[in-house]
Parts: sequence; structure tokens; C-alpha cells
Amino acid sequence: MKCRICNKEAVEKYCELHEKAYRSIVQKYEDWKRAMDISYREYLNEILKNSYTGSWAKEVVEKLMKDGDR
Amino acid sequence: MGKYTLIITEKPDAAQRIAQALDGKGKPKKVEENGVPYFIAHRDRELVVVPALGHLYTVIHERGRRNYYPVFNFKWAPRHLAERGAKQIRTWIETISKLAKDAEDFIAACDYDLEGSLIGYCILKYACENKEGVAKRMKFSTLMKSELERAYEEPLPQLNFALIEAGRTRHEVDWLYGVNLSRALTLAARRWSGRYSTLSTGRVQGPTLRFLIGREKEIRSFVPTPYWEIKAEVEIKKSTCEVEYERKRIEKKAEADAVVRACTDKIGEIKEVGVRKFHQKPPIPFDIGTLQTEAYSLFGYTPRRTLGIAQRLYLDALISYPRTSSQKLPPIIDYKKILNALSKEPAYKKLASKLLEKEELKPREGAKEDPAHPAVYPTGNLPERTLSDPEKKVWDLVVKRFMAVFGETAIKQSVKIRLEVNSHNFFLRGRRILKEGWMQFYKPYARAEETLLPPIKEGETILLKRVMRDDKFTNPPPRYNPSSLLKKMEGLGIGTKATRADIIETLYNRGYVTDERMVVTDLGFDIVDILSKCAPRVISVKLTQELEKKMERIQSKSEKRENILLEAVEQLKPQLEQFKEKEGPIGEALSNAIKRARMQERIVGGCPTCGTGTLMILFSRRTRKRFIGCTNYFKGICKTSFPLPQRGTAKPMGKTCSSCGWPLVRVQIRGRRPWRLCFNPNCPLKEERRKRNEMQNLQ
Repeated sequence: MKCRICNKEAVEKYCELHEKAYRSIVQKYEDWKRAMDISYREYLNEILKNSYTGSWAKEVVEKLMKDGDR
Repeated sequence: MGKYTLIITEKPDAAQRIAQALDGKGKPKKVEENGVPYFIAHRDRELVVVPALGHLYTVIHERGRRNYYPVFNFKWAPRHLAERGAKQIRTWIETISKLAKDAEDFIAACDYDLEGSLIGYCILKYACENKEGVAKRMKFSTLMKSELERAYEEPLPQLNFALIEAGRTRHEVDWLYGVNLSRALTLAARRWSGRYSTLSTGRVQGPTLRFLIGREKEIRSFVPTPYWEIKAEVEIKKSTCEVEYERKRIEKKAEADAVVRACTDKIGEIKEVGVRKFHQKPPIPFDIGTLQTEAYSLFGYTPRRTLGIAQRLYLDALISYPRTSSQKLPPIIDYKKILNALSKEPAYKKLASKLLEKEELKPREGAKEDPAHPAVYPTGNLPERTLSDPEKKVWDLVVKRFMAVFGETAIKQSVKIRLEVNSHNFFLRGRRILKEGWMQFYKPYARAEETLLPPIKEGETILLKRVMRDDKFTNPPPRYNPSSLLKKMEGLGIGTKATRADIIETLYNRGYVTDERMVVTDLGFDIVDILSKCAPRVISVKLTQELEKKMERIQSKSEKRENILLEAVEQLKPQLEQFKEKEGPIGEALSNAIKRARMQERIVGGCPTCGTGTLMILFSRRTRKRFIGCTNYFKGICKTSFPLPQRGTAKPMGKTCSSCGWPLVRVQIRGRRPWRLCFNPNCPLKEERRKRNEMQNLQ
């Protein structure tokens, strides 16, 4: 299977590098929810515009938002 | 010339210094033969001082083709046989060989370290025909006359063979790794694409790139989390001071808002005034690593640049030998003599005199030792030529650091005031210097910021003038810069003090990293990805560390060169076989990575006309001329294009024009100074320049 973002060999949905970013996104949502009480969609929006978010994480967020995926 | 002693040095500058120091009148005769300089000095007998040009000999493939691997048979040979553009090495070796024929005694006077010992040994063995066994060794840490005279009068009876063996092994192991892995990468890419491009990795380069990638992965997959800080200001006796909230981080926004609501416009009471004195010991003397780190943080010089500057200062006899790991200053260097000499320089007169008034001069020293050289220190000599600005800065830094290590402990006072507002605590902090101590000698390099607070007592009340919530986010780990990477390599124990700076430079030259805050490129990622799949052991930091330790043991004669070479071959062999089996897919991956990297190098910036395309340096198929064009041209959307000069090289600078904000291109034509080109035809700067030229023409 190919990575949904970069077409490299996929581990699950994504390649090894984007998968790492995806896991980080899922894991950090709990912190954001506790801190600001926001929805998953709002959370994705917030991290997409945040300058500290890494480039692979942003690519995953864009893909998630486009596909309406979790 | 009759019979004489032949003294071999590492570089021409050092030869001149040594000849001047040893000549009875201080005026040796300079002779030049086929462009090779040497010096004839007269002392108790005739001395001929001849320089090398760094390494004259190197490790080469013993026999066989260049485009083949694995290669494990090697020999030491003149450098001109291995490197293109090293033609002058041939005449250099011929001149030394000629001088060696009439020489009676031989002395190696190269730098007293691994590389210097090996340079001297190779010349004595190969150019002077096996004189390595009879040669003596001059050992010195500065190029000062007195020290050179002592080193000549009391030479070591023979070369340091343990050091030479360690140096030889390091070169041979590095060659085995470097040549095999680099050939494997380069050939795989070439066989796939039919195009040549230099790819390299090595025993230290690979692991270094690997931990850079580890950091890069963390940064690129980083997701920040929010937290909040409380910022507040109070007014005390008409001056406004910032206060810190008791909790540095608040994890919930609602909690932060509650604090702001509870404290805004409230009056607080001073509950506690804590005063604490603390001592700050003087810094320790510079070893090369700490000098490089300090020069980077103060002046922004890369480690390699600092090493180059320090080397020039050493050859001018202004500082001691810089490639040292020692943080110790033994009394034998004569502290008082150095300070007395430095006091002749007006800028150091006052400071040096202050230290000379002390009854006893005792430096604060660090833990690291180097059997060959002390820490970096100024010789006391003053510059005989006008130093360049960077040279002045590094020399000043070395001088002031030397003086600071003899200074007294600095005493500082910190004040911490607790202010209670509506059951919330805020802290007011102040700091002042009570006794400058060593800091007076290390100005302006010592960090001496003071925060003075107005007098205040317990029980006083204060109005919290402003309370606000500050929205913050956790940061990704910082990128390495050349200085922090050098420190990391030092901490991990990979590479040597002489090679680390060059390895970092190679990572840039190969296009594996870019920018001062080191960003790993796609090519860098692909190289490590391929190596981690096919030859994981060669990029293992742990294995490199183990090999380094074993090589160090050769110096103490507790390990043998042969064992280490055998181990290196045994490690490399299976990895290279595996590599060869997968050469096809590896070549494809590398070729694609190179193609991507080359494309990336040609991207100039976003297209200002269509807003969606990218401007790139392109070549016309019809005319073969280069120009800047928009990538949307191929989709039939945008026809934006700009002409470029056809001669020389043109590379995107990654910077924008200060006047119009368009991306800049750097153009360089051989023999001319490079210039920045703003290709915007309507750039205001161009208009200004045109008007200026018109005015000049009219005048």
C-alpha cells in the first residue's frame, strides 16, 4: 500500500514519517481538548495555522480535513 | 652547503618561524626551488628547514579500477597520485628528497598531534628514504622563539610511534569506510541514471547525518500544545516592574482566565523579601571545542572558520597550538611573563597589571586533559602585522579568557520578593553584581545584565497595574547549528577535534543539509534511509563510538592497528555485499533523490503574476538559453518569464529584494565578484539606478 500523501511505501494509511506525524496529531488532541474544550475539527484548524506545527504534521492535517477523516 | 640537519615542518609559515627562531642572527636565508620554499639557518651547525603542505602522502587503492567496490587493498602514496589538482605535491616531494640526500640528521618539527606526527613520519619514511627510525622530534605548543629554541636543544630522541600508529589507523579505517560506501552510493546512482554526481558518506559523516535526521523527524512531525502564562506589572515608587506568576505554565485556559479576573486592579501585599548571595567561579581555559562554541555564540563564526582563524594566530605565534582538548594551563608556560608581555598592549595594560599585583596566579582549570598540548592561551607576543577583524576578535577572546581564568570568583546578589494578591502569589526578581571578580577581565564577553529593584519592605502594599493572559505553545526541539552539532559530536565522542568541523562542512557541500539552522534535505533523508536498510551498521553512532575508543587505545599501546583494520573489513564486507545485491532499487531511489534535489535548487520562489505557480530557472529547448519561468506555463495558465544572464552560474538566493520583495538570484561569473540580481523589471531600485546613471551622464 502507498502513503496517501507522498506515495511512498505505507506502514498503515501513511508512510513511516507521515504515520509518526498522524499519531502525534491524534495523541495531542486529548491535551487540546482538556486545555480549551474544542472539537476535533477546530483542533485541526488550530494546528494547521500554528507556526510551530511541523511540515509533515501539516500535510497530514490538510489530508484529514480534505477527506473529512479522523 | 655542507652536511646539515634537515628540519621538517607542517606548513611554510611554521618553517619560516622555526628558521627565524633557530638562526643565530634571526635572519635565515630563504631559498625557493621549483616554487618550494625552504630556509637555511645557522646555529651550532647548518640547519635546513623545509615545510610540507599538510599531508603529502595519503591512502590509495593499491591496484584496480576506480569504479569498483569493495576495495580492501591499500597503500600509502604521494597525494598527487590520488587527487586531481595536487600536481605541486610532486615537486614538493622531489625537493624534500633532494634535500634529504645531503642531510646528516633529521628532525620532525610538525605539530605535536596525530596528524602532525603522521605528516612528519610519512615524509621521513617515503621522501627521505626510511629516516623515520633515526629522526628526532621537536615538541612545542607555541611558535615563540624561546620555546622553539628549547624544543631544538632538547628534542625527543625519537618520533612518537604510538601517535603515528593511531594516526595511520584512523586514516586507513576512514579510507576503507569512505571509499567503499561513497563508491557504492555514487555507482548505484550512476548505473541507474547514467549521470555522475558525487555522493559520499563515511565512518563519522553517516552517523552524524543520522542524528541530524532524528532531530529533523521530531521537528517535522511536531504538534504543539497550548499553555498559558500570566503577565503582570506593578508600580513601585514610580517605577514599573514586571512580576512573575507563581505557576510558570497553566495548562487550562479557563484557569488562566480565572487568575486574571481574580487579580486585575487588586492591591497586593509584600509577604516576603528574600536576598541570596551566590558565587560564580571564573570560566575555564579554552580547549578547541569551547573556543569554537564561544566564537559561534559571540561572533557567529562557524567552527571551521574559528579553527582557521586560530590556526593563523598560532602561525603568527600569537596563541598556542589550538587543536587541543586540554582545559589546563600548566605553570611551565609562565603566567607572569605572558601577562607582562600582554601589558605592552594598551587595551590589556590595566587588566594585566591588576593580575600581576596578585601574590599568586592560579588558574581555574577544567577536567579535560591532552597529553600533547595545554589549553589555548596567548603567547604574549603582539601582532607584527595588521590583523583582520575576525582575527582581532578571536585573539581578543583568547587573551581575555586567559586573564579571566586567573580572576577571583564573582559575587552576585539575587532578590526575590513575594507579593500576595487575592490568594495568588507573584514574584518580583532582581539581580545585581556585588563583586565583579573575573568578569572585569572578560568584558564584553561576560554576561553581566543587572535588574535593580527599588527599595521595598515586607508589609508594603502594591497595586497590580496590569494583569494579562499570555497565549503560548510548546516549541519543537531546536535545530542544530554548526556549533551545537560540533558540541553534540564531541559529547558522543565521534570524530576528532581536527576533523569534526570539516565533516560538518562536507554535509553542506554534498547538499545533505542547508541553512545555518541545519535543515536536512530530501537527499540527506534518502541517503540515510538507504544506508539504514542496506548497511545499518555504518550509520550506527554506537559502533562509531566503539571504533573511536579502540583507535584511541592504540595511542596507549593497548590495541593493535591490525586488529582494528581487520574488524573494519569484517564489518564492511557483508554490508557492501548486501548493498550490491540491491544496487538497482538503491540506484533508482538515489537518482530520484538527486533529481528532486536539483529541481529544488532551481526553485526561485512563488510566481507574482498568477500567484499559484512557482518560478524556476529553466532552459529553452529551442535556444538552450536559460531564463526564469513559471511552472504553470506547462498547464497553459501563466506565461510569465524573465531573462537571465547567460554567462556564469545563477542560483536562487532564498532571499527577497529589500525594495520590491521579489526573490533574488545570485549570479557569479568566473573572475568577477558575484552579484544579486532582482529580475523584477519594475523594481524601484532599478529605476533609481537608471536615474542616477542618467544624471551622471548629463554631468
